[in-house]
Amino acid sequence: MLLKIAWRSLGRNRRRTIISATSIGLALSIAVFFVALADGMYAKMIDTAVRMQAGHLTLEHRGYRDTPSVDLVLRGVGAIRERLARLPGVEQTKPLVLGQGVAKSSRDSVGVVLVGVEPSAERRSSPLVDKLVAGAYLEDGDDRLVVVGDALASRLGVRPGKKLVLTTTDVSGQLVEELLRVKGVFRTEVDEIDACLVHVPIAFARRLVGMGTDEVTQLGVVLADPSAARGLEAEVGSWLRGGTAAVLSWKAVLPDLAAYIQMDGGSNWVFQGIILFLVMFTIFNTLMMSTLERQREFAVLLALGTPPGRIQLQVLLESFLLALLGCALGLGLGGGLAYWAQVAGLDIRALYGEGIAVSGVMVDWVLRPQLSAGLLLGLGAAVVGATLLLTLWPIRRIRRIPLADVLR
Amino acid sequence: MPGPTRVCLLACLALNAMPLARAAEPAPRSGLSARELLDHVDDLYRGASAHGRMSMKVVTEHWTREMKMEFWSLGKDRSLVRILEPKKEKGTATLKSGDNIWNFLPKVSRVIKVPSSMMGGSWMGSHFTNDDLVKESRMADDYDFQVTFEGARGGDEVVEITCVPKPTAVVVWGKVVVVLRRADAIPLRMDYFDEDLAPARSLVFDGVRVLGGRTMPTQMRMQPQGKPGEATEVRYEQIEFDVPLEEGLFSLRSLQR
Amino acid sequence: MSTLRIAWRNLWRNSRRTWITAAAIALNTAVLIATFGLMRGIVVDMVRQITLLSVGDAVVHAEGYRQERSFFKPIPAEVASRVLAASEAAGVRAAPRAFGFGLVSSGSKSSGAMFWGVDAAAERRAFDLPGRAAEGSFLSLPDERGGGRTYLGRPVRELVLGRKLAKTLQAGVGAEIVAVVQAGDGSLGNELFTVTGVLGGVGEEIDRSAAFIHRADFDELFVADGRVHQIALSARGALTDAEVVQRLAAAARGAELVSWRALLPAVSDMTRMFDAMMWIFALVFLLAAGLGVTNTMLMATYERIREFGVLKALGRSPWGILRDVAVEAWLLALSATAIGLVVGLAGSWYLWARGIDMSSLGGDIVVQGVTMNNVWRATLVPMDVVGPVVAMWLACVLASLYPAARAARIDPVRAMTHV
Repeated sequence: MLLKIAWRSLGRNRRRTIISATSIGLALSIAVFFVALADGMYAKMIDTAVRMQAGHLTLEHRGYRDTPSVDLVLRGVGAIRERLARLPGVEQTKPLVLGQGVAKSSRDSVGVVLVGVEPSAERRSSPLVDKLVAGAYLEDGDDRLVVVGDALASRLGVRPGKKLVLTTTDVSGQLVEELLRVKGVFRTEVDEIDACLVHVPIAFARRLVGMGTDEVTQLGVVLADPSAARGLEAEVGSWLRGGTAAVLSWKAVLPDLAAYIQMDGGSNWVFQGIILFLVMFTIFNTLMMSTLERQREFAVLLALGTPPGRIQLQVLLESFLLALLGCALGLGLGGGLAYWAQVAGLDIRALYGEGIAVSGVMVDWVLRPQLSAGLLLGLGAAVVGATLLLTLWPIRRIRRIPLADVLR
Repeated sequence: MPGPTRVCLLACLALNAMPLARAAEPAPRSGLSARELLDHVDDLYRGASAHGRMSMKVVTEHWTREMKMEFWSLGKDRSLVRILEPKKEKGTATLKSGDNIWNFLPKVSRVIKVPSSMMGGSWMGSHFTNDDLVKESRMADDYDFQVTFEGARGGDEVVEITCVPKPTAVVVWGKVVVVLRRADAIPLRMDYFDEDLAPARSLVFDGVRVLGGRTMPTQMRMQPQGKPGEATEVRYEQIEFDVPLEEGLFSLRSLQR
Repeated sequence: MSTLRIAWRNLWRNSRRTWITAAAIALNTAVLIATFGLMRGIVVDMVRQITLLSVGDAVVHAEGYRQERSFFKPIPAEVASRVLAASEAAGVRAAPRAFGFGLVSSGSKSSGAMFWGVDAAAERRAFDLPGRAAEGSFLSLPDERGGGRTYLGRPVRELVLGRKLAKTLQAGVGAEIVAVVQAGDGSLGNELFTVTGVLGGVGEEIDRSAAFIHRADFDELFVADGRVHQIALSARGALTDAEVVQRLAAAARGAELVSWRALLPAVSDMTRMFDAMMWIFALVFLLAAGLGVTNTMLMATYERIREFGVLKALGRSPWGILRDVAVEAWLLALSATAIGLVVGLAGSWYLWARGIDMSSLGGDIVVQGVTMNNVWRATLVPMDVVGPVVAMWLACVLASLYPAARAARIDPVRAMTHV
């Protein structure tokens, strides 16, 4: 009943209602869109980085992070992989053998980072595989083949089919070297990757550095649902307790990326917060003024015997409905735009040209906002809650209306 | 390239230049198979132990440098080289033992270990690479070879052997052509080609005389392709073979003396 | 004059309403100013990280140096001295540098490094890099150096390392470094240095491989006889990069003079992009703030429809009413934005002085190889202040005009009985 009165009351002052609701709606839609856009961008960056490197979660030797060395290995990999595969949310696991070495050709020699990969795992999940500009990526069963970046290839003067001698130190510190042929050349446009990284089949890498068949340097876990990372990290951590292995989140493995996201995300929220604050203040203003304006109306009601509390409740309900209207508009507009962009993708090539690299990861050209129920509900609830809170102050005066003066 | 590495590599080069530590043997005659000829070239530069002096002159686009060095080597993987001249670098020494290379720098009185990543590329600014000096494999094993010319050339009777690396040989070249004097199997030149069979560099031998009881080319000149005027020339001045050398000579301690 | 006085008195007839409206206008103005400051702060910070830190507004190299950074391609001596003289005259600070590649070794750890032979005084004058030492300090000035800087009582040759290089070598302040290089005459250059400083995060290239030493030490180590490979120029914000290039173009003939935007095109694109985004955001903010003010003004004016009705009945012309309202609105806007301006400036100042600390998990924010500042500071530019103020005035006046126009045209009787 009160609700209906509240609704009608809003309808009576249509102009004010529309303006207020529109203000809320517009601000909210902006916030929704830009936050979704940023979320989408970060999710893509993280996704690209963890798939190219060592997964959302990385298992490695305890001491590896501080002093990376080829003899610090993870053992019993087969069993761990099987166990991990049975966990819910695990898309796949990818074993990696890492080392530092030198690649030589008849033209030059260059220091490189050696990455022994399981080709089928990479093909399923790594974006690197799509970035080949010449030749083809590795396959299971390949032996002395290598995939290099285009900057490295041009420095060494090699192309698919050409020779390359790889020198590195094995687990006992001995220098070892092998002949490889280039199978493919990739271009990620991130300098550090294109000039230094070489991918070889993991079986070959193990043999070269003298690792056992059940050993790796790192085991990466790629998750279908990144939000499950923390829980899984704790669980896997409990398996590994007491041993030489450790499990790390991608944030520990890629701290620069984590820092960028935190900064960029933080600044985004600050901006959205400011917009919402501005709008909320306006609503507050509006409420203040309207309560002033409606003093007569309230006075009449009070004089007729309505309990002040009831009037306050009515005003609160009006605010509530107003906020709902605004939310409907804002979430609808902002959410709709974000959804459309999520499906269609925003191509920012026009703005950027080449594309940018942030903290070692290439920012994708096509931006896709990421809407989530949490975002929509959260923002909506925040707006409604704020509106209600703001109403509390102006309605205080309702009790203290000097009836006689007002009704003169 | 840091000096120590170069010196060490030079030592290896010196090692390579050692004939077999046996009593002087008769020079091989024509009639040897291609394999035997290649083995001879390899062995011309292998030894059990050696001690000697050499000089190296490097001419590049920007500078010219001459050095005199004293070297010792034991087997295939140990060598010590000390620079005698120029005065600025006198006393600088390089020790190679197994896969590790250390340099002693008298000016600062320190020993440093050369990281493997810096061991690639040119050795001491010269036109030799680490590979040239560290290589322990045999040409006859790594390459498929064939005599491609026998006859007179430039006043000598020569044998030309063309070597193509086997598919699995750990070698960066596409082709190596070796020219030897037929009479005594003394190498005259080696031409290196890259995988596209474009010339990459040439090694020319000269100064054949008896040194330390052997007949050998005492001069080698490495010339890169495409850089006219640039070359590295190595000259052996004294060599003794089969000298008793203590293992302790090839230690970090002795490096610092 | 009397119009103004009347307008002013009118405002205060309903002081509560006026205060509320004024508060809205003031707050919106203040927030806008502070926000613009923050947004501009991002772009400015990005550009500063480049121009003030170590790259500069523009850079001079010998022709063809940039591709391979060959030790043997220095800037011709006459060109170098010409550029240094011209920059002095133009009020641009110059830092001449020499570069050479070599090996650094500390204990059992060694790594390749790029040596920077610099003039410590010039670097300190022109760039912020010397102030970014995370441990120890940058190379000391000549008079400090005197007979040689001492560490623990011994005279030493100073060396300052990039952050990641120091970590690779596991060397901190006081560590001894052996430097081994191929000198310009082909000989083996080697020397002992002592680490007297380790830099904080500055940029990928420097972090990973830079070893700073005094010019004199560089010449000795590399037999470089005073050659200069790069002159980095910075006007310290007094001129734009294009202006610097223009002023020194004549002096730099015979060498290559490029703005930092040509050196780092990707970063340049990014800053332009951020600039563009700023415009979009600015628009959005103006809209939000404008809407807020409009809303308030609309209501304030609507309430007075009765009053306007009376005025009309008393003979005031419609134009007269409109004008009255406009003046009132403008007067209100003026006072309120004045307050907002003060508050906004105060807020911006705070944000400029303290900034918002965005530092986090110990990582560095690296964009295209340039390390960003962890602290987000505001930068105020006159335009950023004038803009919001004028926008607010417009919003106020326009917003009040619409209802006033309605009142002006409405039948007085209807207006007077308006509820």
